[in-house]
Amino acid sequence: MPDSLPSQVLSELCSAVGPEWIITDRDRLLVYEADAQTAHRSRPRAVVLPRTTEEAASVFGILHRNGIPVVPRGAGTGLSGGALALRGGVVVGTSRMNRILELDPENRRALLQCGVVNSHLSAAAAPFGLYYPPDPSSQTACTIGGNVAENSGGPHCLKYGVTTRYITGLRVVLPDGDLLWLGGQGKDSPALDLVGLFVGSEGCFGLAAEVEVALLPLPEGTRTLLAIFERLEDAGRAVTDIISAGLLPAALEIVDRNTIRAVEASIFAAGYPTDAEAALVVEFDGLERGLDEEAERAGECCAAAGAREVRRARTSEERVALWKGRKKAFGAMGRLAPDLLVQDATVPRTRLPEVLARISEIAGRHRLQVANVFHAGDGNLHPNIVFDRRDPEETRRVEEASKEIMMTCVEAGGTITGEHGVGCDKRKYMPLVFSAVELEALREVKAVFDPQGLCNPGKVLPDPEEAP
Amino acid sequence: MSGSIRAALADTVPSEALLPESEVGGWNPGGGPPEVVVAPSSEEEVSLVLARAGQEGWRVLPAGMGRWLKGGGALKVDLVLSTVRLRGMQEYEPADLTFTAFGGTPLRELQAAFLAKGQWLPLDPPGGRGGSLGALVALGLAGPLRQGFGTPRDHVLGLTLVTGDGRILRWGGRVVKNVAGFDLTRLSVGNWRSLGIITSVSARLFPMPAEEVTLVLAAPAAEDLLATARAVALSPLPVSAIELLDPLPGEDEARAGLALRLLGSRAQVEEMETRIRGEWGRVGGSPTLGASAIRRFSGAESREFQQGLEDWEEDAALVLRMSLLPSRLETLLREARQLASLPGGFPPSGRPGPPLAAHVGAGVLRVAIGGLPEGGKPLDEWVRALQGLRERVLRNGGSLTLSVGPEKIMREVGAWGAMGAEGKIVEGLRRQFDPKGTLPPGRFAPRVP
Repeated sequence: MPDSLPSQVLSELCSAVGPEWIITDRDRLLVYEADAQTAHRSRPRAVVLPRTTEEAASVFGILHRNGIPVVPRGAGTGLSGGALALRGGVVVGTSRMNRILELDPENRRALLQCGVVNSHLSAAAAPFGLYYPPDPSSQTACTIGGNVAENSGGPHCLKYGVTTRYITGLRVVLPDGDLLWLGGQGKDSPALDLVGLFVGSEGCFGLAAEVEVALLPLPEGTRTLLAIFERLEDAGRAVTDIISAGLLPAALEIVDRNTIRAVEASIFAAGYPTDAEAALVVEFDGLERGLDEEAERAGECCAAAGAREVRRARTSEERVALWKGRKKAFGAMGRLAPDLLVQDATVPRTRLPEVLARISEIAGRHRLQVANVFHAGDGNLHPNIVFDRRDPEETRRVEEASKEIMMTCVEAGGTITGEHGVGCDKRKYMPLVFSAVELEALREVKAVFDPQGLCNPGKVLPDPEEAP
Repeated sequence: MSGSIRAALADTVPSEALLPESEVGGWNPGGGPPEVVVAPSSEEEVSLVLARAGQEGWRVLPAGMGRWLKGGGALKVDLVLSTVRLRGMQEYEPADLTFTAFGGTPLRELQAAFLAKGQWLPLDPPGGRGGSLGALVALGLAGPLRQGFGTPRDHVLGLTLVTGDGRILRWGGRVVKNVAGFDLTRLSVGNWRSLGIITSVSARLFPMPAEEVTLVLAAPAAEDLLATARAVALSPLPVSAIELLDPLPGEDEARAGLALRLLGSRAQVEEMETRIRGEWGRVGGSPTLGASAIRRFSGAESREFQQGLEDWEEDAALVLRMSLLPSRLETLLREARQLASLPGGFPPSGRPGPPLAAHVGAGVLRVAIGGLPEGGKPLDEWVRALQGLRERVLRNGGSLTLSVGPEKIMREVGAWGAMGAEGKIVEGLRRQFDPKGTLPPGRFAPRVP
């Protein structure tokens, strides 16, 4: 348990944000000791909740002058331990920075405070016929600032791309409390892409206090299919066939047998057949005209790949039902065991079948149960291992299997994280994808923003002395 | 001094990597010929050359095939480092819709390989067909297709950057989603040769659309087309390019045009065309404009029309690129018209002012100045006018860059203009990637006093 803050620092923070917005009470700090990846825990020394960008800048400045590490935190839905305060750090929570500052349908953009919830933005834009495409599973809770930090994805990035594509400007608080505009106003000058660099920096370069986003018009129509397969490889082949046919679905999602069973046994039961090996959700969106034809062709690809059944949603209720088994997968897995390790590796799409077979083999060898949920269209796998943390021997097997799965994905031309980030969870695996020279270059880039190393220390980069 | 770099490099790279002296002339347009043009055939050789340059204090201009070297203004360099011998596809798996190729690979060659598999890289930068993949990515160039597909920042999945001091760094990969480590891929795309040289690129591809149509709406002036252009840009129609052109190329009678590129399945393209014709009838196409007010190109004709647009900047003495929020395109048009009162020749188009081309959806307006005064007071007037124009555009939250221009204008107005407070980050990054200052110094000039 870290020491509490020096009284003079506390009083400076109090005058910056008001005493009621500083949490130092041990019990209340408990909420902030982990994110959604609960394997890692560390209680912060304090939590400060600014309301404005200027208040946030003051807080960063005060902590910096006193040599105290600082960690930005959105809704705490992250899955890599990225928002944990390590090394005696203070959390700057953005829950009060939740205003939409500007909604500009004429330019299809919006300016937001970082604490705006992802789905609230789309709700606010809907009356103008617009929406914000990146849709991580936690979108009803996670914040735009957290999405910027993690460069979040979601099921629909096959067609629409990930967060970075939609961020056009950032007003950032640098670790020393300086304020800086990067990009913005639809700025389009050919200069170093500092906005692109800041997106995905996992809170290590400062706080993205205000975020300018691009919005898209709501699609006129949507078609959703659910294909049921006897073999997981067949579902994988259907995905490849759909892409090879020149179709570009908005989403291509697979859940495997273990996931289907978990879902069907839970309160989220979606009517997926429990004897199936895989279910594939295919969705098309865009102009109403032409959608039926696309859905038809995708359905044919599924049938040709061996689907025993292809269901089509005809109403929006039916669409929600088809998606349910996929969207509620994580919630349902909670039934299987006390703990769940959510993996997030990515491989080239065509390598999916062999990688899935390898994962199944690894899990079997370590006597573990893996439930697969994945964004098949972009090769982003979420092999989830259910276990009981109270059993140290099982936990050790989970660790070993986890590392083997990641090595398998890297060997197949993929990487260790597709959308959840490195955080403190995967930093020991960074040497699997980067050479020592590259890791050093990443450290140098961080030092340009954060020369004192006070902003979210202990994340993303392994310490130089740590062996792979 | 002469010949000393050539001699020193003879120990560093095989002799075939050194272009004959007779061929170095054209490699640094405007900045004087370099002493040597070196074209390594491996990333390791690129690294050795840059490391050596750092030791010797040579100044090096990274290049691909020699396209776009005028961009950003003339530079004095000792050495041009070209990737022309570092070329070819490294990996292409059509079912993954991704590829990896060496930086020096000609774009033309790549597109032919993709086309054979029914795919394409939907980028149409100015002058693009003559350039290399690495140079395109280094400059982050995009054309009209950015409306539908984005810019290289949205396509590139990974790359190899050999830094100014010769470190070989591989970022990203060939998977579409990748958040391991900071996004140095994005930082490297559009770095304008200020951080290193790009020797290999992985990017995503798209299926070749089944149907292609370009609709060109014509009117006496660009302003007459603005309402329709904005309406299309703000509609839910997935139009791939919305380009406002004044004058419209290839016409006998000088008039403006709105070129709309429609790509997709047959049903989608038909639907877009029907709705655009409806919109045009409602807003823009008055009966007085006549039947010739709309032209239609399909298939190969459409592609040919669009390829013609890639040459739009060719041969201009000065190209301005202005950007504001798209809703303020009219302001940009008005500003561009004012350049007409300056001394100097425009091509005899009979138009009020220089040729204009706008990416309507992005709020980017390009202005091509055909001829400029040789010098003296008339050229000074241009310098002052451009400085004033940049100031006004900046004040409105936009930007003005000069893609190419005569030496005096590039020096006194600057290709990019002053950097704001982000200058200290940019300088910090450059120091990390190019600690010895080997790469061209004139890119993204730091804050001017």
